[in-house]
Amino acid sequence: MRLAWDMVRHRFAAFAGTFVAIALGVGVVAGATTLWASSQPQTPERLSATPVLVHSPSVGDNDDGYPEYRSWTIAEAAGLAGRLAALPGVTAAIPDPSFYVQRVVGGRPTGDPQTALAEGHAWSSAALGGYRLSAGAPPERPGEVTLAGQAPGSRVDVLTAHGPATWTVTGTTDGPGFYVADATAAALSAGVRLIGLTVSGDAESVAAAARSAVGTSGTVLSGAARDTLEPESVTRIRWLGAQLLIAMVSLGSFVAIFVVASTCALSAAQRRREIGLLRAVGATPGQVIRMMYAETLVVAVLGGTVGVPLGALAAPLLAPPLVAAGLEPAGFAVTWQPAALAGAFGLGIVVALTGVWTAARRSSRVPALDALRDAAIEHRAMTRPRWILGVLSVIAGAALLIALPALSTDAQSSAMMGAAMLLLIGAALLAPVVIAPLVRFTTWPWRRGATGMLVREGTLTGARRVASTAAPVLLTIGFAVLLTGTVSTISQSAGADAAADVPAALVAAPDGTPGLSDAAVAGQPGDSYLSSHLLVTVGGRTTRYGVAGTDGQEGVVLSRELADLPRRLDVRFPDGTTATLPVTAVRDDAPEAMLLPRDLVRRHDPGALTEAVLLDGPAVPATGLRVLTARAYVQLDIDEEGEIVQIFLAVLLALGVGYTGLAVANTLLMATAARREEYRALRLAGGGTSHVLRVTSGEALLAVVTGTLLGGTVAVFCLLAARRSIEEEIGQAIELVVPWGQNLGVALVCALVAVLAAGVPVLRARAGSM
Amino acid sequence: MTITTIGTAVRLRAVSRIYGTGESAVTALDAVDVDIAPATFTAVMGPSGSGKSTLLHCAAGLDRPTSGEVTIDGVSLTGLSERALTKVRRARVGFVFQAFNLIPALSAEQNVALPLRLAGRRPAAGEVRAMLAEVGLADRARHRPSELSGGQQQRVAIARALVTRPAVLFADEPTGALDTTASREVLRLLRTAVDRHAQTVVMVTHDPYAAAHADRVLLLADGRVADVLDHPADAPEIAVRMARLEER
Repeated sequence: MRLAWDMVRHRFAAFAGTFVAIALGVGVVAGATTLWASSQPQTPERLSATPVLVHSPSVGDNDDGYPEYRSWTIAEAAGLAGRLAALPGVTAAIPDPSFYVQRVVGGRPTGDPQTALAEGHAWSSAALGGYRLSAGAPPERPGEVTLAGQAPGSRVDVLTAHGPATWTVTGTTDGPGFYVADATAAALSAGVRLIGLTVSGDAESVAAAARSAVGTSGTVLSGAARDTLEPESVTRIRWLGAQLLIAMVSLGSFVAIFVVASTCALSAAQRRREIGLLRAVGATPGQVIRMMYAETLVVAVLGGTVGVPLGALAAPLLAPPLVAAGLEPAGFAVTWQPAALAGAFGLGIVVALTGVWTAARRSSRVPALDALRDAAIEHRAMTRPRWILGVLSVIAGAALLIALPALSTDAQSSAMMGAAMLLLIGAALLAPVVIAPLVRFTTWPWRRGATGMLVREGTLTGARRVASTAAPVLLTIGFAVLLTGTVSTISQSAGADAAADVPAALVAAPDGTPGLSDAAVAGQPGDSYLSSHLLVTVGGRTTRYGVAGTDGQEGVVLSRELADLPRRLDVRFPDGTTATLPVTAVRDDAPEAMLLPRDLVRRHDPGALTEAVLLDGPAVPATGLRVLTARAYVQLDIDEEGEIVQIFLAVLLALGVGYTGLAVANTLLMATAARREEYRALRLAGGGTSHVLRVTSGEALLAVVTGTLLGGTVAVFCLLAARRSIEEEIGQAIELVVPWGQNLGVALVCALVAVLAAGVPVLRARAGSM
Repeated sequence: MTITTIGTAVRLRAVSRIYGTGESAVTALDAVDVDIAPATFTAVMGPSGSGKSTLLHCAAGLDRPTSGEVTIDGVSLTGLSERALTKVRRARVGFVFQAFNLIPALSAEQNVALPLRLAGRRPAAGEVRAMLAEVGLADRARHRPSELSGGQQQRVAIARALVTRPAVLFADEPTGALDTTASREVLRLLRTAVDRHAQTVVMVTHDPYAAAHADRVLLLADGRVADVLDHPADAPEIAVRMARLEER
């Protein structure tokens, strides 16, 4: 260990690449995991003052594995609240209906449309958040409201599912939301899903009593369990954020291992003589392996020591951009996460030791006799393990790609990523084989010039060195082509798909609202559907289906996929009431799983909104409505998704390109520095510095070209395989779109970094001794 | 025969080393028999390509003979695993090379202690310093190789080679990269090790002056021992014998 420390201290330059890779890798992982761990579900603020909450019962899990809940009817909730209020220790049991209401200022709806869906509450539920009246009186009649920041007596314009309204402010409170009279709230809400209990004394004993009182007609939550009441929209935002963070951690670790491995391999090759000497004076192969592990451990500990604070400090800085990008909920704050930091530190060590593994094994086989040889000759470009591993990776990757159509849709994307990683590793391992013919081919036009000859021969004899420069480029270009290609192809085909579903040329779409109110829909020429849902129980199993309320029909119309359902359906509406409805028809082109009469939907889902109206005449202007072409309407969704995808892409590409830059620069710095003797000889033979520079740049560019071609090829193969499997699945041809310009940009950045990194040691050497 | 076996530090029996295969095969050593007596200084000389370096590598367990047997200090190297061979080298053999003898990252003291540490032994107090003092570098213990002259580096290498008290010290052109004064100092140290500490030394050299310090000179040609000089009188005599060998 002492020896390892001295080695590292003395030859820090040789370990710098590993150090930086580990420090950055640990930084990225520490930051990402800190953010991820900080992003925990939280009891919504407006329920935070309530120690015990009773939620309506679950009817089983849906396809995504989340529980599906039913609502209590207003009457059910009132009855249950009455029973709960009688329990010892309960001071009040308050049902909490919520409904859609959005403030309108100057004719324009304001605030976040998704949040607005549950902004309206009953006044009595203000107590659940501990909110009090600071002025005026509570609302008593329809058209009266209490909210924050408005003086009693003033009037506010709002939008509800019915349409625009002007409400009178009766009082001012200190919490967010619109509070109306309890009876008004009951009329506007689709049932009740929550009852809050305010207690005197021990919350847990009240919770226990409530549990036996409620039985199966609800779930009692207390303490930390209340965090599960996080709104679904917030959960989704956090889930998206987590996807990005997970991608960062896995890509960061993968690339870090890659960089460490190539750095260690190169440094081991350069240290052959030193290792030979150690072997000659009595180091066993095992001791050489242990020494290299120890060295790497020292570097990894140093890297981690720098990386952990880096990540810990960067995480809070990243929180605001993440919130702005819609990847973390508003109010997200980073907290101190020692476990995440310790984990990142540990991961750095594991990554480093994994990376050094092959290099150490290779070094341990260096014969003692190598101490006596000049080490500049690279013995063989390909070793047997390299061949075996490379070929195995390619075979495994190709097999995965071939098997792609047979896999489930969920497994396909990760299988493709896995295949891509395997193929990229395989290509990196086998690169030395490809390099020789490639070099002969690309340098053909310059074969007569001195520079051409030197580059050609230099790269041919140093195929291994070129390969280690090409490897990170290969990786980056591979991932870049893969990611941009996937995203572009999907958005292209999704756009075409969705546009085909929108028959009318013009669409009346929501404008700053989560949907169109009845008032906005009324009088519009064209078809529209009121969006809602139903819980349908068949044979004891309850499933949630999307419902479209439409005019001029009786009973339930099923879409073709649901033709197998019984002719009489036991359903539960969003407001909690149950009914048995007759199925009257099955339609092929149903816009939703089920069609119901519009007024039936409206009666049982007072908060239901209309997604859009397919216009067949001029639209009537209304608050929160705008007219778009079908294409533009569809594009809205795609753009929204596209925006997040673009963020993902940008972050991952930046990470990849950053690491490549590091790896390429490091490899070339090390290689060029080690070849100073060679360049000195070239100078003595009459070459100027510019000549040497041309040679180093030529070699660097050649490595970048090799990496780009190999990486691009692998990625295109993966994309073609993915396209085939998707085409088979949807039975429709897809056009493969790869944004070549974007990828060319990535390749140019790599080339620039490579030329700079190769040139700097030459210039520095000239400034110094030569 | 038995008597010589016991009293032999290094013994080569019918040792051949052939590089490559088929038509391009080169025979570097051709069934060589050599016995090195303990506490003697042997010089191995010969024209380039005569196999003198290969002889040293095979005798020291750095290279494996194609056929034949090498015995160091009574231990046969035939069939030993890489690990076992390393242990034999570590315990019974010391090395001094022409150049690049020291690990650049370590101080003189650490370099000398290296074989002991690799053997898992903590050097006794003063052991390493005493060794350095013996080669006249007690005051350079904490210097890095880059801060030492070529001659000083070579003396550190000798101290490192001797610190384990090996059965044999092999030196491959130890003065090849040194000036006359430094060469003389290195040769004097090797000679002293033989005379005062009964150390066995085998040295490959092409310099008749260096070889003149030896008790015995083996002259190699075409992979065979062509001539042996016992107690050579002086360098000119060796040079003459060498020249005669090259004319053949």
